[in-house]
Amino acid sequence: MSTRVTLAVASFVVLIVHGIVFYDQFFNRWEKHQTAYFEQARSLAKTDAERRALDQRSPRIEQIIVTQFGESRVDRCTTCHVASDDPRFQNHAQPLRTHPYSAALGDVQVNGRWERRHKFTDFGCTICHDGQGRGLESFYAHGEDIFWPDPMLGYVTQASWHTEFRPKLTGKEYMQANCAQCHTEDNFAGTPLVQRGRQLFFEKACYGCHRIEGLSNGTLGPDLSDVGKKYKINYLWEHTVNPRAFQPTSFMPKFDLSDEEIKALTVFLKSRRGINFAETALGQYRARLQQVKAEGAKQETSAMPSAMRGEQLIGERSCTACHRLGEKDGHIAPDLSYEGLIRDEDWMMAHFREPKSKIPDSIMPVFGFADADFRSISAYLKTRSTPPPFKTAEEIYKGLCARCHGEKGDGKGVTYLYLDPAPRDLTKASFMNSKPEERFLQSLKNGVPGTSMPPWERVLTDEQRRTVLTYVFETFVKEPRGQLKERKVPDKNPVAFNVDSIHRGEEIFLNRCTGCHGRKADGKGPNSLDISPRPRNLRNSFFINNVPDKRLFDSILYGVQGTAMPSWIDYGLTQNDAGDLINFIRSLNSQTALPGGEKSPTLTSQANLSQTNQEVPCLNKGNDKCK
Amino acid sequence: MSSQTKTRNPLIALPENIWRSIFRNPLPSSDLGRASTSFTNFFLHLHPVKVHRNSLRATFTLGLGLMAFFLFMILVVTGILLMFYYVPSTTQAYDRMLDLRGTVAFGIFLRNMHRWSAHGMVAVVFLHMCRVFLTGSYKPPREFNWVLGVLLLLVTLFLSFTGYLLPWDQLAFWAITVGTSIASYAPIVGKEVKFLLLGDSTVGQEALLRFYVLHVAVLPAVLSLLVAIHFWRIRKDGGLSRPEEEDALPADVPAPTQVEVVQGPAVVMATSPAAAAAAQPVLEKRHYGIQGLVRGPFTKIGNVPDRSVFAWPNLFMAELVVFLITVAGVLLVSLFFNAPLEEPVNVMHPPNPAKAPWYFLGLQEQVSYSAFWGGVGIPTIEVLLLFLVPYLDRKIAGVGRWFARERLLANFLFLTFVIVNVVLIIIGTFFRGPNWEFVSPW
Amino acid sequence: MKTPAKPEIEEGGDAMTRRRLLSWLSGFGLLGSLIITVLSNLIFIKPRATYGQPNRFSIGKPEDFPSGARLSLDARRVCIVRDGDKIAAISTTCTHLGCIVSVSETGFACPCHGSRYDQDGNVTGGPAPRALPWYQVSLAPNGDIEVDKDTEIEAGNYLRV
Repeated sequence: MSTRVTLAVASFVVLIVHGIVFYDQFFNRWEKHQTAYFEQARSLAKTDAERRALDQRSPRIEQIIVTQFGESRVDRCTTCHVASDDPRFQNHAQPLRTHPYSAALGDVQVNGRWERRHKFTDFGCTICHDGQGRGLESFYAHGEDIFWPDPMLGYVTQASWHTEFRPKLTGKEYMQANCAQCHTEDNFAGTPLVQRGRQLFFEKACYGCHRIEGLSNGTLGPDLSDVGKKYKINYLWEHTVNPRAFQPTSFMPKFDLSDEEIKALTVFLKSRRGINFAETALGQYRARLQQVKAEGAKQETSAMPSAMRGEQLIGERSCTACHRLGEKDGHIAPDLSYEGLIRDEDWMMAHFREPKSKIPDSIMPVFGFADADFRSISAYLKTRSTPPPFKTAEEIYKGLCARCHGEKGDGKGVTYLYLDPAPRDLTKASFMNSKPEERFLQSLKNGVPGTSMPPWERVLTDEQRRTVLTYVFETFVKEPRGQLKERKVPDKNPVAFNVDSIHRGEEIFLNRCTGCHGRKADGKGPNSLDISPRPRNLRNSFFINNVPDKRLFDSILYGVQGTAMPSWIDYGLTQNDAGDLINFIRSLNSQTALPGGEKSPTLTSQANLSQTNQEVPCLNKGNDKCK
Repeated sequence: MSSQTKTRNPLIALPENIWRSIFRNPLPSSDLGRASTSFTNFFLHLHPVKVHRNSLRATFTLGLGLMAFFLFMILVVTGILLMFYYVPSTTQAYDRMLDLRGTVAFGIFLRNMHRWSAHGMVAVVFLHMCRVFLTGSYKPPREFNWVLGVLLLLVTLFLSFTGYLLPWDQLAFWAITVGTSIASYAPIVGKEVKFLLLGDSTVGQEALLRFYVLHVAVLPAVLSLLVAIHFWRIRKDGGLSRPEEEDALPADVPAPTQVEVVQGPAVVMATSPAAAAAAQPVLEKRHYGIQGLVRGPFTKIGNVPDRSVFAWPNLFMAELVVFLITVAGVLLVSLFFNAPLEEPVNVMHPPNPAKAPWYFLGLQEQVSYSAFWGGVGIPTIEVLLLFLVPYLDRKIAGVGRWFARERLLANFLFLTFVIVNVVLIIIGTFFRGPNWEFVSPW
Repeated sequence: MKTPAKPEIEEGGDAMTRRRLLSWLSGFGLLGSLIITVLSNLIFIKPRATYGQPNRFSIGKPEDFPSGARLSLDARRVCIVRDGDKIAAISTTCTHLGCIVSVSETGFACPCHGSRYDQDGNVTGGPAPRALPWYQVSLAPNGDIEVDKDTEIEAGNYLRV
């Protein structure tokens, strides 16, 4: 009997669900909207014929199929917005409201009647508004569904977007991004935000890192030619505000931007959809050819290098989007105000041509300007040679040091995220008190080669540098300096610099050091992300070649206090082992031939090739790459 | 009855005559009628006339095998309907999904039914396998049917996997990208298999077309054939498994007649000395149909104590109930939950994390530890072991009972395998976030 | 799903009626579901939105068609006829076997099997069984002329503009 009861219950459940689904199918929102439209249009109708025509119409799915813009679009928006082209409904509530007429859209009045410039039958709706043309429920049609890539621009935000930014992402002006798909002219009156964004793209030196077809050729960051197609505006906004919001490892700087500027950039980027309805492929190709030619011409005709031209170029090419120069400041890269006292022309030129050639971990992109332009810029920077007006130690610190080392001396100045190696945390007493004062004075005077710490020798007098150091110790270190422990370390490496020693050093390195310093010894080992300060890049030749053996012995054997570098003597490393390691590290950075006629060795041939592009002999005989 | 119809006006009798010509039996009221009903109806004749009571015990089978079959039927029907609106083209497939949701009447509901039935079928087939193992039902003579069952599980998985790509959304695209990449870890043939599956080096138009053909034609045909053999073997292997004591005679039933089946030219003689001794009025000679010629454990005539009941109505009623429960379940789920449809495919912008379909997430989880072992080595060993189970475990004890004490070790090993896989799938589904890092689902 | 311990026939009286009732209920549920399923499948099969050009479309302003124009829009399979201030739309799909008729001096001519029609679409020769249908033409609120191929009207019914 229970079988039969189950049977009866189950069959009724099936019947009820069938009924619900069936019933539900006949009550669509859009049918109600259309019925309402027919009723209202009937009361507005002037002739009987009109009324008769309306009586004959029954609700159905209206659609516009547009084939002229790339892929075929099916826009069913007029199924609900059935009055969008009926001028009598201008004061009705949505969805039964006339699409506004506007001279700004190119609509014209003929005989007192508006004529649309963009006819809905030719353009559809989603080409300007975005949204999901095929949807018949507003939730899907307007793009509120979090999975839909193009919600109605400026009208709809999706639930998954950051609540803080959602209110800022509404407004008709966002639709300019879509206008610009066809109206690509630089000075098109309808798209001021796109133009502002394009301007900012150059003003903020975005072009240095990013490529946009037809605009720029940066290679350090991702290609943005079709970024508008790939990402929604919330991503564009948030990524511009905080480049690390979506990608914690991004090294894109966080630029100083107002909301208005971010909006302009977002609209500009959204307009980059990789397709351009106004241009044919051939047209684009021709434009590119012309652009290449124009660029070539520009390079040739660049004026004679001059300081004046340099000043102009710095403005034009937006160096101050990152750097500071006098009043202008991008809060990302070092201060160039006293550059004339800090660097010489050779240094500058080498740095311009290839920023990594002087500071190996610099994030500054390679700007492919003409050589003459670089000469002009360095000529101008040479003129920045007035020593700073600061008097007290505090003024000097705030004026020159705080930009990187921070107002509080904690190594977190405005630029610290973008400098590698990071600025020293001056509040770490354990480090500050474990090193001799001469070393700090040395760094102040000559800078730290291979890093962004510049030599202040010609900017500050001996006396000034000394008072600044005292100021740092008094204000930030605070703890009294005790007597430095005398450690038994040799001044010179007692282990002979030869292939065997290097080989032993490499083995020790691979066993012990790669977790932090990395297999390539570039300081980017798997643990390096969690360590502050970051492990030293041991391939930074400028730095390594400037450090005496004594300091290397000290650091390896007794550790570096205030950092993650342990005292390796506690882990059984002997002085000779350290000597081998030092020989190995030196060999990575040595430009000279090794004893025995061999050139500098390497961890893996690949690692070295990527760094120096030299052919490298193999030391490791076990390596099958050795021939 | 026929004499009656002859005298009546053929026009008046027309409906009845037509009905009779299709259904030869009236509703049965006698055992003969019940038997006749079963074997004169095409759909019913697939069943035996009588089934053992044990086969009808809901707590024994849980109806899982039938449920899997009915889910397959639902999938075939909804799948064919969906084919009316689907185009296997990279430019149109996703749009057609939107249209199913937007303009096509009942489109979204059919898609829900298809989607949830597919997931349900994978789960139910797996549970069915667990049932068969835990009741020891794969033991001789049912070894080969177990092998067929494992094959059916694999085909079901593959069928579901090929269907996963068809909506052509981000979920589909990257799940198939991940899934086929797992396949490419197989030694030697891996790359080639992937290339053959995709018809290209990456998932694209060719892959969509191939998956479509596999999904709507090749695999359903293979599955139908295997299901047919699977069903046929159930009868030929002597019905569903049951404990031996089930075959023992209840006290109030007379002792069985010992029937000796002697093969003869056309007529099979059956003598029963035991029955004769008991002075039972047993037929000296019996005529058997062609079934009587079959040797082996299958012949059910007379050599089994009669604890069976007629299939009509007992078995058919039970099947109808399982069918309705399955349909009701699918309908209810489809009413309340919409099948997922994510962003249209963006080949340049993979989601993080990109996950395979849920039933492969255990694999993907394993792959995150070791590409070869997790993706190919261990699964291959697992499948091989599954295939070989009935040939490795030959002891005939504890058959037909859940968690039989005699099978403690086998059940323990099998449950370990099940739990490990389920846990891996749960971890892969709920506890893996961006960069395949451990995240809490709460 | 438990099978009854005893054959069902042995139960009598109340049990019988209860069983009959349950059978009827199940039968009702099943039959009802079956009918709804068949109906919904029929509805499902009938497309509510097609992918070709819509049957109701706008052809532009009345000014686009000078008086005396007989413009055949082959993509839409309709011929727009303007006579003074009157406008009509005549089908150009041959009523014989569906070829597209071409506009000739005397009316319309079908290239497939030689059917001929006069200027109003009436059959004048050939195998065509019926006159070419006229479609409803109306003036949309925005001033465009709209043709609705779903609504056929009597020949000779013009829209005055």
